[in-house]
Amino acid sequence: MTKKITKDTFENKLDRLEEISHLLESDEIGLEYAMALYQEGIELSKDCISTLKVAELKITQLKKNLDTLTTDEENFFEE
Amino acid sequence: MFEQTEILTVSELTRQIKQTLEEEFLQITVQGEISNFKPHVSGHWYFNLKDSGAVISCTMWKGYNSSVFFTPQDGIKITVIGRITVYPPRGNYQFDVRSMKPAGIGELQSAFEILKQKLSNEGLFNEEFKKPIPSLPRRIGIVTAIDGAAFRDMISIARRRFPLVELVIAPSKVQGSGAAENIVESIKTLNRKKDIDVIIIGRGGGSIEDLWAFNEEIVVRSIFESKIPVISGIGHEIDFTISDFVADLRAATPSAAMEIATPDKADYFAFINDFLYNSGQNITNLFDNKKNRILNSIGSYGFKMPLDLLRRKSQQVDGIVYKMSVNFDKQFLMLKNKLSLLSKSLESHDVKKTLEKGFVLVKQDSKFITRSSKFIPGKETQLEFFDGEVNLNS
Repeated sequence: MTKKITKDTFENKLDRLEEISHLLESDEIGLEYAMALYQEGIELSKDCISTLKVAELKITQLKKNLDTLTTDEENFFEE
Repeated sequence: MFEQTEILTVSELTRQIKQTLEEEFLQITVQGEISNFKPHVSGHWYFNLKDSGAVISCTMWKGYNSSVFFTPQDGIKITVIGRITVYPPRGNYQFDVRSMKPAGIGELQSAFEILKQKLSNEGLFNEEFKKPIPSLPRRIGIVTAIDGAAFRDMISIARRRFPLVELVIAPSKVQGSGAAENIVESIKTLNRKKDIDVIIIGRGGGSIEDLWAFNEEIVVRSIFESKIPVISGIGHEIDFTISDFVADLRAATPSAAMEIATPDKADYFAFINDFLYNSGQNITNLFDNKKNRILNSIGSYGFKMPLDLLRRKSQQVDGIVYKMSVNFDKQFLMLKNKLSLLSKSLESHDVKKTLEKGFVLVKQDSKFITRSSKFIPGKETQLEFFDGEVNLNS
C-alpha cells in the first residue's frame, strides 16, 4: 500500500485523503475497514506534509532559438 | 521659372523634379492622421497621412518601423520625421518615414479604444471563452522579462505559497519595439510544451507607452488563441490593457497573478490537521459505539440468565463439597482416635503380661532404666511390679 502512495501525485493523495475523510464520517463503516482507512490516512498525511515541507521551487527557463523556433530547457537559478 | 532651352524627356523632367523635391524636403517633421494603414508581409509599412485638406502617401521601411513601439492604426494622429522621395516609374512622390510617434498620449488612448472596440465586437472578450484556472497547478508558464522586479516578486510568492510547483519561464521583451512579437512567440512556445497548466503574463508598472505591447492586436489575439488558461498581471491596479480584457483572468499586478495561480500550502496543512483531528475523533467514536454495544449486551437480562444459572449450580456444588469434607473430617478423626486407643491398650497389654510373670521395671527420674550402666546408685528409684509401684529412697 505504501508503495502505491509514493507513486501517486500530491493531488491524488489529497483527493484520497478527502475521500477517506468522508468515508470515516459514515456510521455504517466496519471497524476493521475504518482502522485500515485511518492508517492509510495517517500515512498520506505524513506524506503530504513532508512533501510540502521539503519542496524546493523548481524554475526552468526556456531557451529561444528564433531561427528554428525550437526550445530547449536548462535549469535556471535565480540569484 | 527658368527659361527652357531644350525639350525634356519625361525621365529628364522627373529626374529634375526628384532632385528639387528631395533636396528641399530632406528632413521634415509632419503631423497627420493615419489612414489606409497596410503592413506588408515584407515588413514594410504603407499608409496615408492626411488632414482635412490633403493626403500624402507614406512608406516606412522594415529597418525603421522595427523601432516603433506601437503598431499604427487608422484614425490616430501621429508625428513623423522623414523626407520626400519621388518614384519615377509611377511619377509620384511619397513621404519616406524614418521615425514615428503618437501625436499625444490621447492618441494612444484612442488607439486603445478603437482596438478594444473592434476586438470586443468580434467577441474576443466574451465570458464563454474564458477558461477556468486550475486550482492545483503543477507547472506555471511565465511570460515576462527576467531582469524585472515583477519576475523576482512572482518567484518569491510561488516559493512561499506553493514550492511544489514548477515555474517555466519564457523570457520576453515586454516593452519597446519587438516586444509584442516576443510576447506572442513566448505564448506560442509555452503552448507547444503541452504540460503547462496555466500561463502568467506579467509586467511591472509603467507608462501607457511602456505597457503598450499588451495593447497590440497580435498579443491580444495570441492570448485569445492560447489553449492554456492565461492570467494577466500587467502594471498596477489602475492599469488596464487590452490583454487584461482577453485574458482568462485579470490580476491587478504580477504578484497578484501568482497569488491567484498558486494554492497556499498553509491551507493544505490546515486541511491535513483537520483530517487528523476529525478522523481521530471518528475512530474514537466508532470504538466507543462498539464498546457500548458490548457493554449493553453483557448487561442485558438475556446475557445474565446463564451466568445466574451457573452461579446457582456452583453454589450447590460448593454446598455438597462442604458437607462431604465435614463428614470426611469427622470420620477421619473418629478412626484416628480409635486407632490410638487400640494401639495404647495393645502396648500396655504387652508389658503387663511380662510383669505378671514376675519381672520388674526400674525407673529413675520417671525413665525406665534398661541397662546397668544407666543406673545411678543412691538416686531415688521406683520399681514397678505387676501389682504396683515401690519407692526406694536412698
